[in-house]
Amino acid sequence: MDIRFEKVSYVYQANTPFEQRALYEVDLAIKDGSYTALVGHTGSGKSTLLQHLNALLKPTAGKVEIGDRIITPETNNKNLKPIRKKVGIVFQFPEAQLFEETVAKDIAFGPQNFGVSEADSLVLAEEMLHLVGLDDSYLERSPFELSGGQMRRVAIAGVLAMEPEVLVLDEPTAGLDPQGRKEMMEIFLKLHREKKLTIVLVTHLMDDVANFADYVYALEKGQVVKAGTPQEFFQDVAWLKEKQLGVPQASAFAEKMQARGAQLTTLPLTEAELADWIVHEAGERP
Amino acid sequence: MMNKLIFGRFIPGDSLIHRMDPRAKLVASFYFIGIIFLANNWQSYLLLGAFTLFAVFLSKVDFRFFLRGVRPLIWLILFTVILQMLFTRGGELYWSWGIFSLSEFGIKNGLFIFCRFILIIFMSTLLTLTTPPLSMSDAIESLLRPLRVIHVPVHEIALMLSIALRFVPTLMDETEKIMNAQRARGVDFNEGGLIQKMKAIVPLLIPLFVSSFNRAEDLATAMEARGYRGGEGRSKFRILSWGKLDTGVVIIFGLLTIALVIVRT
Repeated sequence: MDIRFEKVSYVYQANTPFEQRALYEVDLAIKDGSYTALVGHTGSGKSTLLQHLNALLKPTAGKVEIGDRIITPETNNKNLKPIRKKVGIVFQFPEAQLFEETVAKDIAFGPQNFGVSEADSLVLAEEMLHLVGLDDSYLERSPFELSGGQMRRVAIAGVLAMEPEVLVLDEPTAGLDPQGRKEMMEIFLKLHREKKLTIVLVTHLMDDVANFADYVYALEKGQVVKAGTPQEFFQDVAWLKEKQLGVPQASAFAEKMQARGAQLTTLPLTEAELADWIVHEAGERP
Repeated sequence: MMNKLIFGRFIPGDSLIHRMDPRAKLVASFYFIGIIFLANNWQSYLLLGAFTLFAVFLSKVDFRFFLRGVRPLIWLILFTVILQMLFTRGGELYWSWGIFSLSEFGIKNGLFIFCRFILIIFMSTLLTLTTPPLSMSDAIESLLRPLRVIHVPVHEIALMLSIALRFVPTLMDETEKIMNAQRARGVDFNEGGLIQKMKAIVPLLIPLFVSSFNRAEDLATAMEARGYRGGEGRSKFRILSWGKLDTGVVIIFGLLTIALVIVRT
């Protein structure tokens, strides 16, 4: 399912003395089956933009196309549920949304809201729990007994259980340990590859962008300031440093080698690319 | 959603009113609300109205804020005013139907009540718009201090008040966040009948309670780790100072009261 933004602007508390603009004429396209990354500093409008992806917010100007639905400022608040089923959002620190008595019930809550029967939704809950790496023993436990990382997994399972076509992730690994972070990102990649899920990832970690994304948008002060494939995006290292957006570690390393006289044709983005390049260079030496 | 409420918000500024001692402001506002009930004719309401507008002007706060402060209460005000108008008899009778009537006294009473509401709302809005919540709780602590003689835990009350005030915006953000997360999972907060709406609130309330408990625990630990052992023997960082301005305000209020007593019938 494609999502397309056309000149989308958003103003918080419009027409009050506390008016605050968050988005300025944003144009953006998330293609079906893509893995799009959104980067930008805190307060650049990422979270506002994110809430437009499933019509939690409606633009104050411009239009958002979500699949075949068009959301404009005039769109009625009724009948937005089908959109919310298709676009699942995992918010920052999603463990705050758990509330049911058992993990199983909590995961099944989303599907039940969209009309899935209780029995079916519980089967779905079990399946999703496995998917995020927890076993059956967790099904009947209270979500509040779990550790932070396990709660995070349950919350994510709850969103996945709605079987969305587009999965929006707002810093899904913030506050997780390196192992948990790696596992989570691999789960998302697996879903993207095997279930053809469209993924939108909001992150501060450029390594994740380089490793996983196939398209990047950078936001600053409510505007898209740069867009492109990671290869294009990270080419301009000076610009990224100036904007303090950072570059993947592999690229930073390659840059240092370049400064010491190594010849670079393209900037390696991931460790694998960097290693390939070093091996290649070493092979050419007598 | 909740952002629309202007009442009870603080707007930073630098005006005579902003610079006043919060104790003086707090007492003055309550005193003003008290003396509003002294007013009983046109001249006295005019006097109070002019005084309020002058204070609003001095605060340099946009007048729209005050009008917005009235907005959420407008139905309550109109309801009260209309009740007064229809059920008060006396003076010349213009119209009557059964128990309802429209009389000279009724209209007068209704209009007075309207003025009273507006003045009270303006003054209290002025107080909250120009006083940071923390100074307000400092002021309350300072004003309640004499009650320690009768074993009222003034420090604890003030501490709870300032912590509560500090966490109002945080909790509101949290509410908004959880609400969005649940809406994304297919909860409709505005649809359906009363029972359905109440059921829809459960996925919002439970996480909010849980996060409040967690937050309270973290905060208590952090406070203890920083050496908090209760109110005994603590010094203060924000010290309230009574200035000439505040004495001036007391004098002005004295004069206002005298003028009011002279003008009222």
